[in-house]
Amino acid sequence: MYLDLCRKAVNEGLKLGATEIEASLLLMRNISAEIERGQIKGCSATDDGGIGIRAIVNRKIGFAYTNNLTVESVIEAVRSAVKAARASLEDNKWKSLPEPRPYPSPADGYDEKLASLPAERAVEICQEVIDAAVDYSKKVLPAFGETAISIGEVVIVNSHGVEVHDKYTRIECYLAAMAKIGDTTSPICHEFSQSRKYEVNPREIGSKAAELAVKSTKIGRAEPGKFTVIFDPIALASLLTFTFAEVIRGDMVIRGRSPYRDKIGERVASEKISFYDDGTLPGGIYSGKCDLEGVPRQRTPIIINGILEGFIYDSYWANIAEVESTGNAWRGGGGLRLPPYATLPFIQPSNLVLEAKDIVESDLIKEIKNGYYVRDLQGAHQSNPETGEFSVAAVPCWKIENGELKHAVRGVMLAGNVYEIIKNITLVGDRSRQVNFFILPQVAIEGVQVIT
Amino acid sequence: MKDLLLKIINEIEEKGAEYVEIRVQNNNNTLINIRDNKVEAITAALERGAAIRVLVNGAWGFSTTGDLSRESLTSAANSAFKMAKVASESIKEPVKLAEIKSVEDKVSVPFKLNPKDVSIDIKVKNLLEISKTCFSIDNRIKTVSVRYADLVTDQVLATNEGTYIEQLKMYVWNYCWVTGKSDGVLASARDEIGAHGYELFERDPPSKIAERVSRKVLQQFEAKTPKRGQFPAVIGTDVVGVLAHEALGHICEADLTLAGSAILGKIGEKIASDVVTIKDSALIEEGFGYLTYDDEGVRGQETTLIENGVLVGLMHNRETAAKMNVPPTGNARAQDFRYPPLIRMRNTYFEVGDYTFEELLEGIKFGYYLESFRGGQANLDGTFTIGIQSAFEIVNGELGAPVRNIGISGNTLETLMEVDAVGKDFGLEMGRCGKGQYMFQSSGGPPIRVKRILIG
Repeated sequence: MYLDLCRKAVNEGLKLGATEIEASLLLMRNISAEIERGQIKGCSATDDGGIGIRAIVNRKIGFAYTNNLTVESVIEAVRSAVKAARASLEDNKWKSLPEPRPYPSPADGYDEKLASLPAERAVEICQEVIDAAVDYSKKVLPAFGETAISIGEVVIVNSHGVEVHDKYTRIECYLAAMAKIGDTTSPICHEFSQSRKYEVNPREIGSKAAELAVKSTKIGRAEPGKFTVIFDPIALASLLTFTFAEVIRGDMVIRGRSPYRDKIGERVASEKISFYDDGTLPGGIYSGKCDLEGVPRQRTPIIINGILEGFIYDSYWANIAEVESTGNAWRGGGGLRLPPYATLPFIQPSNLVLEAKDIVESDLIKEIKNGYYVRDLQGAHQSNPETGEFSVAAVPCWKIENGELKHAVRGVMLAGNVYEIIKNITLVGDRSRQVNFFILPQVAIEGVQVIT
Repeated sequence: MKDLLLKIINEIEEKGAEYVEIRVQNNNNTLINIRDNKVEAITAALERGAAIRVLVNGAWGFSTTGDLSRESLTSAANSAFKMAKVASESIKEPVKLAEIKSVEDKVSVPFKLNPKDVSIDIKVKNLLEISKTCFSIDNRIKTVSVRYADLVTDQVLATNEGTYIEQLKMYVWNYCWVTGKSDGVLASARDEIGAHGYELFERDPPSKIAERVSRKVLQQFEAKTPKRGQFPAVIGTDVVGVLAHEALGHICEADLTLAGSAILGKIGEKIASDVVTIKDSALIEEGFGYLTYDDEGVRGQETTLIENGVLVGLMHNRETAAKMNVPPTGNARAQDFRYPPLIRMRNTYFEVGDYTFEELLEGIKFGYYLESFRGGQANLDGTFTIGIQSAFEIVNGELGAPVRNIGISGNTLETLMEVDAVGKDFGLEMGRCGKGQYMFQSSGGPPIRVKRILIG
């Protein structure tokens, strides 16, 4: 039925004089239970859905959306999009909307069991998370948390014959805990899991968040200088999201904003580093048949053994670069947190995978004589993608001495240049986890500047 | 619409709900993106939807729908009731709401020029002028991105307590990101402004915006990296609001305070130096945080958080107010109909003192003047970080060379004690804050001086 609605929108647009047109329809249902101050606070069931219309009239682009999925409203949105296109200025770089291409086989992204999970089960999962945290220590307050199940559908139709329908499920569970021991309050400590299938381990989440909170109350001295720092996947993702993940985008490269723009084939990272963007990875949070303009998801090498191999593109920027789109068009979000049907596509990684290596994760710390272990960062979004410069607080963070976590440290900042320090990655762990669009192991980086 | 909402509310109440609230919105949004003198996209959208919150046996249920038909609203209300019922099975300490006087009212945010009365052509012309001016200022400017949005919302809030408030909300927002390149060095700067109406561009004409943001880019080419460590600093009007917001504001949002933030149990205690007074007010008309009623129907007001160094109050919704046995402060705000209200800041600021800017610099042998920011973040233990995009050295009481790639970090309970002088020139910055939902708010104050802060 939604496929028909999209086809109708496309036909209507062509009748109104659009030279090309695309309808992208997204439906999202979210069931969740929420934790606040050590108890279940409430449950919610939200429905959101809408259609975005991208109309092109002689290289002029217009966009409109509606969250009212009746034929009349959709036709109205088509009229608005065509009108907006006529009112716009010609984009002489515009080439074309995507052409049809074969899709990869489904990447294990929809779980019937998860799609029919009742809210009661989300409450039970939250309760298990709370219990596990408090079982770890009575000094722990499970401050905030949530178990959220998302079920969604994507339908994309364009006037070149692209027609695709994909479904997804996702379950996310998190806890933010703090501990108060004596006069010392821990920072808020997070643990979470994300999965496409009904796979969640509430006890592990509760006890890990609690353990981090308790361990960060044993505070000792921090010394400034250059040290080897072990970055947890969460801290590493935070650092790379606002720098590396930005400058591998084709638009950043073409506009000259990426320091990687003329570095293909050159060494840009330690030879232990291989990065792929993989939208076909089974179970990956952002895996699927297609991106959000109907281009097939694929596996794209970015860095292989430290050498820069490629960039990620949506169709607009791929056309300008005269390459094929890598299936990295995404929608929604931005500064105003718009739903995905409400924006034009932009380039975003699918699952950005850093290949794990052979150092057993628990052995990584043993390799460090004098250094730090950073679980998370504060202020990474203030980094400068063009230059790679960062200046962040490490929270929570521990001192490593003689291969052991000695004590937590407070008031520690890390500063430097992301594009330089990734050349100094000396050790890469053997276990990876998904943190938003990254899949990362722990890494050790030499010579990181620590400020106290 | 009123009869329908009241009927649905009545049905859910009869099923056994203590509290029922329906918030209906009709939104008229225009978004324009400009990239390097090109119109990237013009988006015009009408959207509508309803958010329904229900309290059953002290547990919350929440649902949303984008369909305002009788059937869909009824079904969403029943779903919210069911969700509350499910949660109530495991609630230990039931939620209670502070009493408020129910009110029937129709209000509007103050504005001079409704953006819907301005043609798309004029909006596009102004934005292109920002972009073109940036490029004309200096050939080292390489890219200009401008994002503009005007969001006009008609909202109805109806509750089973008899509250029925119709409210017109309006935000006009403009954000620029400009980059430059000189001798292989890349630099970038941001500029974010806003107002309730399109008078924004009279107050802040496109050429002025372009000059301001371009200057911040060009300045970085001359800038050196800072010495890192503890230094005295003068925190400018652009940054001081972020300090009020990140260092104090978040841990004074009562939901976060009760979750164990660093100031829990410290009401009435001295947590800042005598010269510090910080407020969060809904009453500053030009501020993005202005509101007559919040999204629970509580009247907007001025809330003092710190008075002469003493922590005197927190920001509440009805739930935390009841829990702490104080009146609610009108801080419950929701992004839109897709979200429930949360405790959010409004206009958060340092009160002015009596120092001139020159007097603030006096006596600093070596330190930093922090002029404008990139962003900020806070943790519940009081750790805050603020990224600084433009800063200068202070040498022997005078402004010196520009510095770049600088961040500051500290802990609220230590840093606010280090404030030893407060300036007299007040400024207010419009911005957004993310706490699961984005929210327009503003923050500000006069420049202040701190004896020491960690420069990283």
